[in-house]
Amino acid sequence: MFKEIKKRFATDDVEVKRPDLYKVGIKYTRLFELVHMLRDEYEYKTLNAITCTDWIEEGHFALTYMLTTLDRKHTFMIQTMINREDAHAKTFSHEFKQAQIMERDLHEMYGIDFIGNENLKELSLENWIHTPPLRREFDTLEFVNNHLTFREGRDDNVDTKAETKRLRALKKAAKEAAKKAKEEAKAQKPKDEKIKEGGG
Amino acid sequence: MIVVDLLLMLVVAYAVGFLYYGLYRNITARFQRRFGPPVWQSFIDSIKFFFKEESTSHGWMFYLGPVIMMSGAIMTLFFIPFFTVGDTFQGLSQYGNAFVILYLLVLGPLGNALGVGTGGSPFGAMGITRGLTRLFAMELPFYIAVIAIMSLSGSADIATIASEQTTFNAFAYPLLFIAAMISFIGMMGQSPFDVPGAPVEVYSGPASEFSGKFLALLMSQSAIFTFAKLVLMVHLFLGGASGFLELLLKTFILFIVVIAFGAIYGRFKTPQAVDFLLKVPTTIAVVGLILATWS
Amino acid sequence: MEHNGFIQEQKTLEGDLNSDTSHKNSVDFLMNWFRKRSIFVLAYGTGCGAIEMPPTFTSRYDAERLGIRGAATPRQADVIIVSGYCSYKTLRRIIRTYEQMSNPKYVLALGSCTVNGGMYWDSYNTIKKLEDYMPVDMYVNGCMPRPESILEGFIALQKEIGEGKASSWQKYEENYEFYRKNQEAVLGKKVEPSYDADWYLYDGGL
Ligand code: SF4
Repeated sequence: MFKEIKKRFATDDVEVKRPDLYKVGIKYTRLFELVHMLRDEYEYKTLNAITCTDWIEEGHFALTYMLTTLDRKHTFMIQTMINREDAHAKTFSHEFKQAQIMERDLHEMYGIDFIGNENLKELSLENWIHTPPLRREFDTLEFVNNHLTFREGRDDNVDTKAETKRLRALKKAAKEAAKKAKEEAKAQKPKDEKIKEGGG
Repeated sequence: MIVVDLLLMLVVAYAVGFLYYGLYRNITARFQRRFGPPVWQSFIDSIKFFFKEESTSHGWMFYLGPVIMMSGAIMTLFFIPFFTVGDTFQGLSQYGNAFVILYLLVLGPLGNALGVGTGGSPFGAMGITRGLTRLFAMELPFYIAVIAIMSLSGSADIATIASEQTTFNAFAYPLLFIAAMISFIGMMGQSPFDVPGAPVEVYSGPASEFSGKFLALLMSQSAIFTFAKLVLMVHLFLGGASGFLELLLKTFILFIVVIAFGAIYGRFKTPQAVDFLLKVPTTIAVVGLILATWS
Repeated sequence: MEHNGFIQEQKTLEGDLNSDTSHKNSVDFLMNWFRKRSIFVLAYGTGCGAIEMPPTFTSRYDAERLGIRGAATPRQADVIIVSGYCSYKTLRRIIRTYEQMSNPKYVLALGSCTVNGGMYWDSYNTIKKLEDYMPVDMYVNGCMPRPESILEGFIALQKEIGEGKASSWQKYEENYEFYRKNQEAVLGKKVEPSYDADWYLYDGGL
């Protein structure tokens, strides 16, 4: 199977991650062909998930399609790259119905346009007008600081990090002191024992 | 004079109804091993709702629903005499008989259906549909039992039926009593027949769109109606009452039986409830009727 | 005998409730008394806190002994519990539900998420301070507050109602512009969610 894939799709990126998990990386143009092949010839009938990773330095998104056999024992990861700017891909919703909502989610979170998907409305971010939040150029902290107000702390507020450090140092000192005391007690112990024996 | 009598009847029914509702909540709580609310909790609730502001409007028909229900309940109450003897607390019973009461029993739900239908809430419409479906199945055994009792005692007058029982009808004709009792549990809105107002299925159904004073009206209505129905059952099957103590005792025993069923059983689905009511109590009622006329 | 501790607890809780004396006249006092002794809580939960409410209302903690009881629809409810973080999508529904309730109405906010964002303090999709968007009568902090503290919060709220101090619904009406501005700042111009059947049927669901 691997040999055939390697030969047919001219790729070297084939890997056995686990006995039940194979991975192959191919060009986007050959994606459909490979998925059809796996589905029709190799029992990988179900689309489990579509995930996306943002490689901002290289300038592309990595789309991963997970195909699973019907007995849920083997999974095939197909990884393919698409351009980051003007990100678009063709939809899988005609082959697999479940792809519709997965693509809708990716569209919401990364702004990838899935051509042919009839409903790409946002799922949980209603009326979202900013950058899609899971793209890495979206700075969450900055966004939060700009758009939302925080409650001012109380007057007796303490810096938790410094406070923990201080408490830890105190604890350590106490522990060492206890250790010392113990050692001293140990040094005295033989004497005590002797007394005890004498007493017995 | 009769006006004073009627007013007194209303006051008594209101007070006792709310007392029973409070007891109902408390006893159910004890069934569930809880402490439960105080006895007057239902009364507090209803008064609080009278103090709330109205914020919804669905047109006058919507507001007429609770009013029709309330008048249905009050009319039912007035046509049922509290006692079999004496002149007080007789209401309008000399002007009407059991047929009038049977008719008035369904007036409330129908009026409510008209009102809720105009309010846009889909849950209200669902609750009403459930309620009317159940009502249709519930009445059949009840009517059979009541009409059997009427023909057996040869009178349609409630007080006559009540006072003519040498042994209680409940023991003389147990099958009729059981059939009427099963549908009576449904009439009181208790499990397993509480399909119209199921809170987790249709969000309290017909009442889902009412707020404030109208909800308070609905609560008072159900308190009064409950007492009226209890008195009716006592008259038909338990020999009526000649004094307040007897009346309260008998109605309370009946009420305890009903709420014990309500606390123990889960809820039927609507088709299940209709199925059950049309099969089991109806059969029992018919068999009871045949047996009673045979002997 | 075995119930003694329980009755004691009940007495302490109710003693707390009955101790208020600051009322203007007897009608006010009566009205507030009825209001505080009968609280219908909307069965609505957001965030993790919703899981703490069932034990509060059922046999173990039994809030009904204090007159606190669940209501199925906002029309019948007096109190809405915002039980945890609110994402923007939830906030829309909360505001809509809150506006459907009839006066007087109160808001009880649970958990540190409603106070200052809690563990979601740097999330782009949850609000940090609930009182910017709707008035809040009582905060119960903790992550998550246990049923005991929820009951305490209810008692405190009841006390405020009894004294006539809990008037957040008036605040909302008077400062509507302010709240609306804040709501629009995070939710966009259209604050209310669309609520038609086609929302479910024709929009692809959800
Ligand atoms: S305060 Fe804690 S428990 Fe409550 S919603 Fe936030 S994270 Fe969840």
